[in-house]
Amino acid sequence: MDIDKLKPLVVFVVVLCFLPPILGFNNYYVLIVTYILFYAVVVSAWNIIGGFAGQLDLGAGAYVGLGCYAMGTLLIKWNVTPWIGIIASGIVSVFFAAVIGYAAFRFGLKEVWYALATIASVVVLQKFFLVWEEVGGPAERYLPVKYGSIYYLRFATYTPYYYILLALLAISIFINIWVRESKLGFDLLAVRENEEAAEMLGVDARMSKLKALMIYSFLTGVAGALYALIAGYIHPSQFDNSISLEVAVLGIVGGLGSIYSPPASVFILHTLSEYLRSTIGAWIPGVHLIFYGVVLMVTLIFIPEGLSSLFKKLSLKYKPSKREIG
Amino acid sequence: MLLEVKNIDVYYGMVQVLWGISFNVEKGELVTIVGSNGAGKTRTLLTIAGMKKPRSGRIIFNGKEINGLQPHQVAKKGISLVPEGRRLFPNLTVKENLLMGAYIKKAREKRDETLKEVFELFPRLEERKNQVARTLSGGEAQMLAIARGLMSRPLLLMLDEPSLGLAPKLVSEVFRSIEKLKKVGTTILLVEQNVAKGLEIADRGYVLENGRIVLQGEGKELLVNEKVRKAYLAI
Repeated sequence: MDIDKLKPLVVFVVVLCFLPPILGFNNYYVLIVTYILFYAVVVSAWNIIGGFAGQLDLGAGAYVGLGCYAMGTLLIKWNVTPWIGIIASGIVSVFFAAVIGYAAFRFGLKEVWYALATIASVVVLQKFFLVWEEVGGPAERYLPVKYGSIYYLRFATYTPYYYILLALLAISIFINIWVRESKLGFDLLAVRENEEAAEMLGVDARMSKLKALMIYSFLTGVAGALYALIAGYIHPSQFDNSISLEVAVLGIVGGLGSIYSPPASVFILHTLSEYLRSTIGAWIPGVHLIFYGVVLMVTLIFIPEGLSSLFKKLSLKYKPSKREIG
Repeated sequence: MLLEVKNIDVYYGMVQVLWGISFNVEKGELVTIVGSNGAGKTRTLLTIAGMKKPRSGRIIFNGKEINGLQPHQVAKKGISLVPEGRRLFPNLTVKENLLMGAYIKKAREKRDETLKEVFELFPRLEERKNQVARTLSGGEAQMLAIARGLMSRPLLLMLDEPSLGLAPKLVSEVFRSIEKLKKVGTTILLVEQNVAKGLEIADRGYVLENGRIVLQGEGKELLVNEKVRKAYLAI
């Protein structure tokens, strides 16, 4: 891999390293940026299936929920360290994604039908976990309170989670770059541009979509496990289809297929959304969502290709143009 | 025999659209399947390409049975389909589209060589090699689709209605290039609504009607056939 391609990633991560000190380690602010990082990770992972492969996947809530439950159950029932639990979460999510994805791609589910199938999987899983008494059923199950323990990955402040998620974001962006440069990346590009033509030329469309889905679900499952660690409990409400929608919206507004714009736009839009919530939302609860919705709509009306095209235009102003595929 | 289709039945959902279709293509031949809209021509090609599955019957290519294979596996066996409506990669350049055509491993090794040959056959494409595919005219886009199909160095090139939606002058141009391809030894299975032109250049032809093959014979022979003249040539 070209080392030059990793330079922006290093800059991105180093800058974000300084965010908690800048915020004075204020626990509330750090929690907000930690949640932003969580979304940035999932959106960046989603970019592989949504941006590169062009599949409108709305299953993020399912993988987040499975991540919460896999890690949480291992920890609560068998006292397994979350370090193992996090990996297990990823693996459980991949298995579920493989089942859904194999069926969907085998029978040629595309576009809105694929979107509906994936968002349905979130709802089905939520109901399923509501009645599964062994893992808690409808009750909240709390993670052990062992603050300050590296083994239990439980901390009294949110700063450690911030840095763990930052590391995960770096991994996710790295995987994005790696996929884009690999044969899989080119296969996905061809599938996104014209799936049937790609197949006729010899691209195994089904397999490449499945691979993209599995990479995305692994990262999302891992992020889900961290989400449960931050929240401190597991509950079926963590199978949340509003996460699915938010991730897809942020991915699209950020710019499909661009590597840095989707996570970057999470920072911009989520900061804005939190700001609106603490100001207008404090005045009349819920009104901030209207403003946030308007901002998203205006963005898509004026920059339909997403914020990435805006970033590109800005960067082109300052350096000679360089053509790139995708 | 390069391609042998034996008695295939194909369904569209619950409805049967192809009834016991049998035909064959020899190496180096240009075989044309003609028929009116909805006769099942496109579906026949899609079935060979693995995009649709026959419910019964066999498809044998180069001595091996290929029914049941997925499209990308069929492509690897050496069949190249130039689909109806071209299906180019609209945001890639002409050259990039062509390079995508040489996707399968066997073709990738000889990519530059094939590209040179293809540019010799279609000099227009060389002039426009850096142009984005979506900005090509209809005729050029069709040339590109055919050229991309050739990039995989196929044993059999299948062309689905290459004259569709083109101005008469361009139609002749497309048929001239198909004849050129035949001269350099490409085996071609052509599907056409333009019965007169399609049969004129064919070694052999088949007439498809409502999902059944009703006539077959040498191209020139079919052109003078009473039934064909009445039904398709309006003479």
